[in-house]
Amino acid sequence: MASSTSASDLGPGTALLLLAPLTVLMAAILLYPLGVIVWTSVNNGGFTLSAYADLAQSTLFLKVLRNTFEIAIGGTLMSLVIGYPVAMHLAAQPPTRRTAYLIMVMLPFWTSILVKSFALVAVFGNQGLVNQLLGFLSGGAIKLPMMFNRVGVILGMLNFLLPFMILSILGSLLSIDRRLILAAETMGAGPLRIFWRITLPLSMPGMIAGILINVTLSIGMYITPALLGGRQDMMVANLVDFYTRQTLDWTAASASAVVLLVLSGLLVALLGRVRGAAGLSGAGA
Amino acid sequence: MNELFGSSRSARIITATLAWLCYLFLLVPSLIVIPISFGNPGQIEFPPRQLTLDLYRQFFTDPAWWGSMVQSLLVAVVTTLLSLLLSVPAAYALARSHLPGRGGLQGLFMMPMLVPVIVLGLGLYLQFSSWGLLDTTAGIVLAHIMLTTPYIMVSVLSGLKHSDIALETVAAIMGASRVTIFFRVVLPQLKAAIAVGALFAFLMSLDEVVVAYFLTGTQAMTLPVKMFSSIRWELTPVLAAVSTLLTVLSLLIALGIIALQRKTEASS
Repeated sequence: MASSTSASDLGPGTALLLLAPLTVLMAAILLYPLGVIVWTSVNNGGFTLSAYADLAQSTLFLKVLRNTFEIAIGGTLMSLVIGYPVAMHLAAQPPTRRTAYLIMVMLPFWTSILVKSFALVAVFGNQGLVNQLLGFLSGGAIKLPMMFNRVGVILGMLNFLLPFMILSILGSLLSIDRRLILAAETMGAGPLRIFWRITLPLSMPGMIAGILINVTLSIGMYITPALLGGRQDMMVANLVDFYTRQTLDWTAASASAVVLLVLSGLLVALLGRVRGAAGLSGAGA
Repeated sequence: MNELFGSSRSARIITATLAWLCYLFLLVPSLIVIPISFGNPGQIEFPPRQLTLDLYRQFFTDPAWWGSMVQSLLVAVVTTLLSLLLSVPAAYALARSHLPGRGGLQGLFMMPMLVPVIVLGLGLYLQFSSWGLLDTTAGIVLAHIMLTTPYIMVSVLSGLKHSDIALETVAAIMGASRVTIFFRVVLPQLKAAIAVGALFAFLMSLDEVVVAYFLTGTQAMTLPVKMFSSIRWELTPVLAAVSTLLTVLSLLIALGIIALQRKTEASS
């Protein structure tokens, strides 16, 4: 029914009354602090953009920015390359078995990022499982440094990002009409040709959404580089923390935070254009 | 029969191998903490040489660990209750009114999901340091209410979408007051959706580390913050016991959410 005065509708007064408390809280605890950051970044006795000019000339900031892009984009591409065949494997399973496999994919999604970080150190660290095994097999000759460096960050990223990528691609793969593939096979197309001409193009929406979700999630990452990376692997979020607590330079911290906010805002807007942003959850742990 | 790339045998074997490696990579780290947690308290060991409960004993006798767990549970419970109290009526008003600007408000309530947590952490840190809320339970609860709001919103709004408006209309025509309709007609239909939102909010608050790391110090320290500094600085085996407890708790909550979602899907 199109009428705006259905008996189940709330009047504007009641609606306002119900909305007011949460709106006030969000204004005070969400909008106001964001305003404080922007204000702090441009206020140094008066309005100035010097904090941003300083960042643009800071070798530390530029290095961190490069790290951030390298790790976010590199991690995303690896997650795409690994996640795609996994999604294909899942898509090819009968529904009950797919559910069972999906539980394995979803488990890290539910576990705390700290548990995962600790576990990754226990598995891939210098005294970890993999190195113990390698040492045992090689008589102590081989030891791979896989933690507290770039490899560690990427491993942590992948563990965090893969479920999002896999689920996103799986959605697209499951919506492909199987008769297309059957038809192509009947007409004599080989497996590679079918993959390149049918499966891959038709799963493009899922891939694009997966890529955007992965980049958005990883660009603001704080815990993984802090716990699994070395000093050289600082990302923007870690730099914000560094300026805030180590050098107590709140202006630089705020300006870096604004840069991160703008970057992730652009990504979210892009993602929103690709599809509703409702699927994006757990941003930036 | 339903191959996405034709019925090539080698392609199938390659994807299956890759997929299983990936499943192991996703699964093993989350599960390996469980056997480690029953091991030797001296060092992180896998497989453990002897089975003991020493690490759990250490956890439950060290007030720094035990206290931060109590604090985390307290924060999560209070956050969930207050967040429900604020979000459920707001969601109801969004779904059942024609107020101009509803879209904007809904965007505001969803925003914490989309802003990088480090940005929120810094903003709250700057704001709370001038409000005197740093390192207080009230401060961290306020921050967590804001962070958990979108999760409750999503769940309750979808519950409202699936609930039967006709029942509310009928009740209104029969002369039931707004309040009666809300408590006797709307809320009973939303039970499952509210429970799902509450479980999400609870887990989210219990696991949240970045904002808590900015806002709490020695007084109001939550378990994730304690874990974070412990992984960073000492890497004690007690972490395995903490991780096991948290993982079991998360999985129970996840199962609860999945069961509730199944139930609502089946009934609608």
